[in-house]
Amino acid sequence: MASGSVDVTYRGIFQKILAGNIVKTLVKASRHSGKIGGTISRYSDSPERNGIPAKQFAVIAESQDELHVEMAKYEPDNIRLIAALDDTLAKGHESWAWYGIRPIHLGLREGGALLVVSEHERAKLLEFIPRLPFEWRLAILPGEKSFSGLWVYHDDGTEFRVLGAIARLIPEVVGLEELEKEVGKGPKAEQHLDWLRQGYREVQVGTVPAGVGAPNTYEPVKLPEWTEMAEAIIVPAAPRGGRQEAFKKFTTRSERPVIDFDVCTQCKQCFVECPDSVFELTPEGYYNPEYEACCGCGICAEVCPVDDCIVMVDELAFADNRDLYEEWKADRAAYRQFFQGLLERERVTARSSRRKVSA
Amino acid sequence: MAMTEVSRRFAQHEELITGTEAVAQALRLADVDVMAGYPIRPYDSVMSSVAKMIANGQMDADFIVAESEHSQFEIVKHASATGARVFVGSSGVGWMYAMEAIVVTAALRLPVVALVGNRALDDPGAFGVEHNDALMVRDSGWLLYWVAEGQEALDATLLAYRVAEDARVSLPCALSMDGAFLTHSQHLVLVPEKDLVEAFLPPYDLKKRRFHPDNPISIAPQYNEDWVMETRKQSDAAMRRARGVIAEAYAELKRLTGRGDPDPFVETYRVEDADYVLIGMGTVAMPIKVAVDQLREEGKRVGFLRIKWFRPFPDEELRRLLHGRKGVGVVDRDYSYGSTRHGGAVYNEVRSALYDLEDRPPVIGFIAGLGGREVSVDDVFQIEAKLEQAAAGDLGAESAHWIGVRGPVE
Amino acid sequence: MAITQTRPQERPELAPIRTIRDVPVEEFYTSGHRTCQGCHSALLMKYLAKAAGPRTVTIGATGCMYVANTSYYATPWVIPWMHTQLGATGSAVIGAAAGYAVQQRKGKLAEEPINVIGIAGDGGGADMGLSAISAALQHTQYNVLIILYDNESYANTDIQASGSTPWGAVTAFTPSGTVKRITQDRWKKNTPGMLVAGHPEARYIGSASAAFGVDVMNKIRTALRVGGPTYLHVHDACPKGWDFDPRYSRELGQLAVECGIVPLWEVIEGELQYNGITRQIVEGRRKRKPVREYLMRQGRFAHFTEEDVDYFQAKVDEMWEKWILPGVLPVQALPEGLPKPGRRAAGLADGAGAAANGAVAP
Repeated sequence: MASGSVDVTYRGIFQKILAGNIVKTLVKASRHSGKIGGTISRYSDSPERNGIPAKQFAVIAESQDELHVEMAKYEPDNIRLIAALDDTLAKGHESWAWYGIRPIHLGLREGGALLVVSEHERAKLLEFIPRLPFEWRLAILPGEKSFSGLWVYHDDGTEFRVLGAIARLIPEVVGLEELEKEVGKGPKAEQHLDWLRQGYREVQVGTVPAGVGAPNTYEPVKLPEWTEMAEAIIVPAAPRGGRQEAFKKFTTRSERPVIDFDVCTQCKQCFVECPDSVFELTPEGYYNPEYEACCGCGICAEVCPVDDCIVMVDELAFADNRDLYEEWKADRAAYRQFFQGLLERERVTARSSRRKVSA
Repeated sequence: MAMTEVSRRFAQHEELITGTEAVAQALRLADVDVMAGYPIRPYDSVMSSVAKMIANGQMDADFIVAESEHSQFEIVKHASATGARVFVGSSGVGWMYAMEAIVVTAALRLPVVALVGNRALDDPGAFGVEHNDALMVRDSGWLLYWVAEGQEALDATLLAYRVAEDARVSLPCALSMDGAFLTHSQHLVLVPEKDLVEAFLPPYDLKKRRFHPDNPISIAPQYNEDWVMETRKQSDAAMRRARGVIAEAYAELKRLTGRGDPDPFVETYRVEDADYVLIGMGTVAMPIKVAVDQLREEGKRVGFLRIKWFRPFPDEELRRLLHGRKGVGVVDRDYSYGSTRHGGAVYNEVRSALYDLEDRPPVIGFIAGLGGREVSVDDVFQIEAKLEQAAAGDLGAESAHWIGVRGPVE
Repeated sequence: MAITQTRPQERPELAPIRTIRDVPVEEFYTSGHRTCQGCHSALLMKYLAKAAGPRTVTIGATGCMYVANTSYYATPWVIPWMHTQLGATGSAVIGAAAGYAVQQRKGKLAEEPINVIGIAGDGGGADMGLSAISAALQHTQYNVLIILYDNESYANTDIQASGSTPWGAVTAFTPSGTVKRITQDRWKKNTPGMLVAGHPEARYIGSASAAFGVDVMNKIRTALRVGGPTYLHVHDACPKGWDFDPRYSRELGQLAVECGIVPLWEVIEGELQYNGITRQIVEGRRKRKPVREYLMRQGRFAHFTEEDVDYFQAKVDEMWEKWILPGVLPVQALPEGLPKPGRRAAGLADGAGAAANGAVAP
């Protein structure tokens, strides 16, 4: 089969243009081998919100019927490859309320490929990606995540490197030659072709046997029937003293704030200025983040008046949303060691190249 | 509406008032809490009436002078959500200006009662009656009632609150009244005392839907394709349940007032043995009934059926009453340019309702009385004659017939 | 009856918040909203719910704070919230307030002050809903607060220009092209100033920024305490539409004030007060930062040339140097020889004062 769809999963807004360019180029390239296609921007993501996982698709077909069966959907079914433009999406994505956290490779079939742009090793990613009952392929394109804003796009090569990697993984759908023809037509063709071939060369591909990976706890949501829903478009309020459980938002973050409670002055600034009301007052007067609610915006780290008290840390440094304040309380010396390690190895700063948002 | 014996239990007194004043009397009796007004002819005299009653202490309500029709309807929508009984209204393009607020009121299942003083849509800014304004919401979940006489204006207003606020329905209700003929003409109306209305109309109680600090809910969150169809189905179910609630409420109103038609949904006039039945909504009933009487004297078996509730549409009644007739003529005081046979909205609904009948009659459309043009008894004779011809297949083209228009017609 | 005008009430629960220490801990707008990372409009929602407390209902017009907050059949609101149509904030709060007032008067509801707060974005408030907000500010018998969260575009529909979008900013409807560099050629509408000028009976109208949380919460409490129809305009940094790293929302919001682009002030029962940094600028105790420092931090101004920055600076300078009330009313001072405006000169406070001042009463 030489047709199929490519799913590009990305961080809303930050990678919207990048994802859009990738799916568009894929379809246009497939025209060079006589195929037809279209793109789908998953409507349910619209309007995209900064960081909230979103999807765009390239649908490539050999006949009109093959194309039409997918084009009146929000998500096509014949996924051959999923490209995750931010490796923290390996933890799964909760794009909306009610649907729970979906595995990054949801919809992938036997032999299908998951391509991740990452600086991490395969073993690290498989700590987060759930196992499947069949063999599939995991490919890593070495590199930092490429983030832009809504108006200023960073042409940093990621777009073309990802395209090159896709050609390597599903040449029967879109080959390198077709992509070279298409990319070669555009502006800055020489540079872009270099990047395209670089991605083709550098992508690391391996198979993942059935049953390898993190435990798969995903269960599709069962939505209520109309007789079970409250009449007149009414939902219960969020509980007083609690949180809205239908949407937790933490798969929005690429990095999380970690607090050095030893230097915290309990000034309350992070608590007051967090738009997501993440911080909870502890009996000892500290403000403890509930990581399930944290979307990783970094405002707390910015407004904290104490140096190196709240630091933003790569999300893949953590396996879960455990309560770090409790760990600090239980063993301060061990926490100190843990925190120092994060400062040295995993810290993400505003000026780091990880965040290529205009600043 | 046939005037029968007045209930012995409840006192009622006669007044000579306009249709809008009759509605205002009902609002006073229903102890409406919040109203919002904005001027447009012809509905607005109802607001002048209630404003005066409030100023004179005959009524305790907040009357808010709004700065647009859109605001009018939003004001009462939100007042209704707090548990207040509300009233609002408009006409013609004013109703159109409020359309966004009007459709969300239905979606939110808020039992707002509105008066539409039917008026032609602009341009050319005509004041006279056409039914297109109210008909614009026919698909949105509003209960729609067409009034024909002053007494009915009062009674239907009380009925509207009872049906709309019934928890099994909880949909807004618009009462349509023909501009001029009802809104600006005085009729003899029996006005009941408060005790009758208290017996008929229970207090408005939103229960767990009330927008209030004691009831933590979010009303009308945004959602998409995975949820919307279920919401639409709920409204559909409510509209289906409305039939039973209307029948129940109407029987009770008849019992208390001692007046009313045999059927809650349609008024029938000499239909029983009729070969030909004319159908219409609103004040066109008056000349048609006169014409029916005169045609009967000539030996023609003609009857008239007035649709009172357009939503829910009385398709059961129409099938029951119209099967096997030689011809049905629908007099539309509206237009639906380019529709099937270029007929009006009522024509298309009636024809659709009868389609399943094995002995379905020919249904012929007539467009008459647009922009407030009078429909005369002679016009009705012309309609009846054309109906007979068309039903016999002698009229050639089957497209709707324009009655009373100057110049050639198809 | 409806004609009785409400009077300021004793509202101990709405006491001023002196420092960040006094900020209440309990949340009435919690997590679970689907807003962007670093959304300062969401932060404003949290502030308003916190400041107003549990005896509050909120009504939100269409916009980000509708769609992102209550998306997919879920809600972050702990207190009751209801949607209203894009241009209907003013009407919706009046309707709800009237509903409570009448039912309380008739004994259908317990008598108590209920805070009715309407929430509109700049599209819903400064464009489409302006007429209804203006009307609401005339209905002095009702206690309502209308909060306009001004993130300077139709952010929910993916960033189109509103009447509140700054001059020159790129939006989906005002792109910077190869032939036309600037297509957003309208200067930002001065909505709070306009509402002050037009609604002398409104007892509270203010201008704030979500970057100054304590100030915002105090303004909300003051408005609710003062009563009647009130209005608060809040400038909110929008990392998506303005194109900057979400962690800098507070910094960007602060810069707008420090550069004098967004002034902080309030008019309480007719008295104008400048607040915080703006007050320091007005009193000459602080210099405005150059607007460049604010503009060049945002992708929406990335296409600006030196001339564009200069033009922007000149317009902001005008607002401080020429306006009769800097940052509030865009009218130049009276010509020489006419009495300076003010309570005494206008003869409004007391005739004796005017005479003592040597001014001629009109």
